[in-house]
Amino acid sequence: MKKILSFTLNGQPYEVAVKPKTTLIELIRDEIGLTGPKIGCNAGACGACTVLIDGKAVDSCSVLALQVEGHSVETVEGLADGDKLHPLQEAFLDDGGYQCGFCTPGMLMAAKSLLNENPDPSIHEIRHGLSGNLCRCTGYVRIIDSIHDAAQRMKKEGGEKS
Amino acid sequence: MRDFDYIAPKSVEETIKVLSEYKDEAKIIAGGQSLLNILKQDLMAPEILVDIKHLSELDYITYDEKEGMRIGATTTHHAVEVSPLVIEHYPILSEMEHTLAFPQTRNWGTIGGNLCIQDPTGDVAPPLIALRATVKIVGPNGERILPMEDFSTDYYETVLEEDEILAEVRIPPMAPRTGVAYSKFRIVEGDAPIVGAAVAFTLNEDGTCADARIATNGTAPIPLRIPDAEAVFKGKKITDELIQEAVEVAGEAMECIPDIVASDEYKKRVAKVYIKRMARKALSQIQ
Amino acid sequence: MSEFSVIGKPVRRIDGLEKVTGAAQYTTDIKLPGMLIGKMLRSPHPHAKILNIDTSAAEKLLGVKAVITGPRDTLGVKYSNWRRYPHLMDETALAMDRVRYIGEPIAAVAAVDADVAEEALSLIEVEYEILPAVFDPLEAMKDGAPQIHEGPTVRNNVSEARHFEFGNVDEAFKKCDYVREDTFYLHPVIHAFIEPYNSVARYEGDGKLTIWTSTQTPYYIQTLLAMALGLKEGNIRVIKPHVGGGFGGKMELFSDQVVAAILSMKTGKPVKVELTREECFEGGRRRHPMYYTLKTGYMKDGTILAKEAKLYTDGGAYNAMGPTSLYLSGFFQMFPYAIPNYRYDGFHVYTNKTPATAMRGFGGPQAEFTCDSQIDMIAEHLGMDPAEIRLKNRMKPGHVIPGLAKVESCGIKECIERAMESTGWKEKKGKLPKGRGIGMGCYGFMSGGVFNWINSPYAYSGAMVRVNVDGTVDVYIGSAEIGQGSDTVAAQIVAEKLGVPMSDINVVRGDTRTCPPDLGAWGSRQTLMVGNALIMACDQILDKLYKTAAALMGPNVVYDYAAKDGRVFIKERPERGLDFVEVVKAAIRADEGNQLIGRGYYTPHDKGMVSPAYSFGAQVAEVEVDEETGKVTLLQVTTAHDCGQVINELGVEGQLEGAFVMGQGYTLSENLVTDQGKILNPSFVDYKLMRAPDVPENFTSLMVETYEPEGPFGAKEAGEGLTNPNAGCIANAIYDAIGVRITDMPITPEKILKALDEKKKKEAKG
Repeated sequence: MKKILSFTLNGQPYEVAVKPKTTLIELIRDEIGLTGPKIGCNAGACGACTVLIDGKAVDSCSVLALQVEGHSVETVEGLADGDKLHPLQEAFLDDGGYQCGFCTPGMLMAAKSLLNENPDPSIHEIRHGLSGNLCRCTGYVRIIDSIHDAAQRMKKEGGEKS
Repeated sequence: MRDFDYIAPKSVEETIKVLSEYKDEAKIIAGGQSLLNILKQDLMAPEILVDIKHLSELDYITYDEKEGMRIGATTTHHAVEVSPLVIEHYPILSEMEHTLAFPQTRNWGTIGGNLCIQDPTGDVAPPLIALRATVKIVGPNGERILPMEDFSTDYYETVLEEDEILAEVRIPPMAPRTGVAYSKFRIVEGDAPIVGAAVAFTLNEDGTCADARIATNGTAPIPLRIPDAEAVFKGKKITDELIQEAVEVAGEAMECIPDIVASDEYKKRVAKVYIKRMARKALSQIQ
Repeated sequence: MSEFSVIGKPVRRIDGLEKVTGAAQYTTDIKLPGMLIGKMLRSPHPHAKILNIDTSAAEKLLGVKAVITGPRDTLGVKYSNWRRYPHLMDETALAMDRVRYIGEPIAAVAAVDADVAEEALSLIEVEYEILPAVFDPLEAMKDGAPQIHEGPTVRNNVSEARHFEFGNVDEAFKKCDYVREDTFYLHPVIHAFIEPYNSVARYEGDGKLTIWTSTQTPYYIQTLLAMALGLKEGNIRVIKPHVGGGFGGKMELFSDQVVAAILSMKTGKPVKVELTREECFEGGRRRHPMYYTLKTGYMKDGTILAKEAKLYTDGGAYNAMGPTSLYLSGFFQMFPYAIPNYRYDGFHVYTNKTPATAMRGFGGPQAEFTCDSQIDMIAEHLGMDPAEIRLKNRMKPGHVIPGLAKVESCGIKECIERAMESTGWKEKKGKLPKGRGIGMGCYGFMSGGVFNWINSPYAYSGAMVRVNVDGTVDVYIGSAEIGQGSDTVAAQIVAEKLGVPMSDINVVRGDTRTCPPDLGAWGSRQTLMVGNALIMACDQILDKLYKTAAALMGPNVVYDYAAKDGRVFIKERPERGLDFVEVVKAAIRADEGNQLIGRGYYTPHDKGMVSPAYSFGAQVAEVEVDEETGKVTLLQVTTAHDCGQVINELGVEGQLEGAFVMGQGYTLSENLVTDQGKILNPSFVDYKLMRAPDVPENFTSLMVETYEPEGPFGAKEAGEGLTNPNAGCIANAIYDAIGVRITDMPITPEKILKALDEKKKKEAKG
């Protein structure tokens, strides 16, 4: 028996009927059709499915869809502002923060969560902030650099605005 | 994963009612960070999941100078980690939460859910035992309070009856001249601990040990409080020799289980190293 | 190299935008109208005869559209990349009458959704006769051991033996001042690409099929799928969307591909088959465990005169790419050293475990761990600096391995020297405080394999380049971008050759219908091989453009032209030239409007039996060992790598870092643990991959640029070879730190503590 779920995805309100056992990643990928977040392990160990719930990184394979009732969910598709890329995306492009790209949507959202909370993280803090995201290609070095770079860019942007 | 029905009660009271009605057909889900993996592997197949994750009445951290701290069961790990109250009064808890699993787990997983899953390597219980925490359990007949160390009964088993929930963790105020330390051994950072140890010392004014607490994870089916090792310190001045003696006593109490990562002997040996290190660290906080 | 416009410059990858916005489509993201979900039933037994398969109950389940088994619904064709050597082809898509490892596919279903498919699997009844099984290659080779395969070429479960020898090893040993023999064990690990194996097949009717699949080798899939299905190669269209990593684990035809195709043919609907992470462990592939024995003869001055290597690989139940891993392990055992007398014997042994195959380094990681460990033991015995003994025995440019290889460019000397200088080697080696140590490992690796197991009449790489009237360029390549950045490198090569901006290049790839055949992504072949094919194609275009420019400009005597920065001009008089687009238009008009197309291919000549070119590198790691727990922390890592001309520096560095961390996991934490053939840690929860907090905070990549005459613009391999020296390098650093040597991989904290205990016992005895 499906149940009605109301939540916000990338700023847009949704009301959908879901089976209780549907996980958030299944809802986002299979039913709503956003395929940015990936399933790497389906066990909360790789972070490829990372999305933000109320601004915080969560493994969407490890949350029941019904549990996001009333919450705001953000995927990699919501990261850019129209054509304007998020500084994290710009930095990943410039600094080689991805290779095969499969972990990238989750990596970016884990990074955004980290920066939401800590806009000026140290390298050490970035490393630990990514402990839930596996990447088999990059050895993490360039991802860590990209996030550090993005934080600097955001600081600069923020400075210019004020 | 099998199909199940889903109920999201609006209050603790309603939760207990639902549990009383469905008994063993129901299973509580909070953050579900461990439970969903168990369900996905069909290791458990409840008819109904009772979701308490959203219960705001269980989501709080308060501190009172006389009573100490109260943490509601659905408080997330992350909320504990960054709570100014926790950082001020029990920094060890914040430190522990900071290294618990992954940021994703901490952002959605709850402290109560973690304790109820009762993974024997879990991070949360040993420092709470060292801090003399108790847990409040709510059921149809009211509430009961248990010392943290009495909550777990076996691998993935707790004292909770089918119609009870863990509602709150209570931590008494820290006595003056108290030091507490917890750390764990992992081969891969961010990974689950292989073993861990928490040690707390409270000293008398003359520097002798008024009270000691030692608890470990990964060394037995449940979080292990080791009173025999604690007793080594009582009334004595804590020295490295005394710590070594306690470590040996503690080793006797451990029943480590070998797995694919490490042998039982190795686990015991490392747990002892961690007790030693945490004892020194706890002591250094007071001296 | 400032004369380049694009080569060696920091350029963004061409697949970047879609990857950072989540728009990039992987096979797993594909959903077609009416698509069914396919699932496979796998063997719970390591070795059993299949007496009967009853699918009737599964077929009756509502929502099930097809159920297939090996004997009933497949051609039963044995296939693999070994088409040229049929005796090595030993695997079928679904078991025919016997299963040989836990996880081997037996039957498959297509259903309306995954839940129904799974329920259907549970309704299939298989009757087995359990057979005795064997799990260790040394046991499997004994007389009386269970025989896993019958056949004239298999004896005592040895499916392939490799032998090569040159010089006079026995005589040389006699001349040596010392001869030492050491044995090593290498453990199994898995590729752990983050995108699971998955495929979507759509049968179009009339013998035509389209398949989207996560693969490193679209052409192999096309060829072998034709074989497995009895269709024509040209009627099978293999589309490779973005691929979430491969590392050698996706270079063969797998059951998900065949099963999706057959289920689609049966149902007339598109079918998706996607493995779970657990299935990727149990039904996937792994790196070969190896028992390695090295006997090495050397002189008092450190010169190595002779080496004899013997190894037994645990190949698992099928050959997969094992015979090549076996061959290459023996081959890379020599690298990067000039060994004058060498003998190698390797045995590929069947066991009742998941098949082992190529994995980043292709036999090299095992070889270099043993080689680098033993060189340090020799250095210690002689009281020499391990770096010095490496320098002494190093290969030099022009080195020839008789009958096997010709090494042209070789920067190993510079690599070792720069790594030493950068890390302060001389000040640190043997002088760090107790518990801290520094170690070195070295390697040489191939830039593409001169192997044609698949028996393709086509060249190793093909390319087609079309210049459009507005000067934009379409590049058609069959090479496989799987994350390593090869499409970007291809675009850079074309942009450089034609003198057009990167933004005007459009790469058409990953589709066998439109792209030239190419043997795919394995053995670090793409930059060199498709790069050369692209250069040939571009040269054909430039030839036409230069002639056209000459006709338009009417020069006096000089007909040497160049194309750069959007212009075609006289080489010695750059100011005299024409706009690129004008020349292109004129060239097309001059050819009656025929498209301006260049075609190229690459086939190596006179390069030996293994590879057209070899890359080199030296790796230095500094570690700290916790002597109470045995835990190893990497403090600092430095790689000096000779990849010829760097085409994309960011790409090279990223590859080196990724290779190192994969090697770090191989050495310290990863281990595929089995009991009676059952994998005990088939998940990312229990299989321990390195995470961001574990990687060295201090990672330095030094580019040692040489010029490789065979490479495009002088380029050669980067990124695979560095997987090879890490285990030896870390083992050597641990030895430097605490004086214990682990020869049995992985190097776990527990093994370190045990070794420390033994060392202390020995020291106490005095």
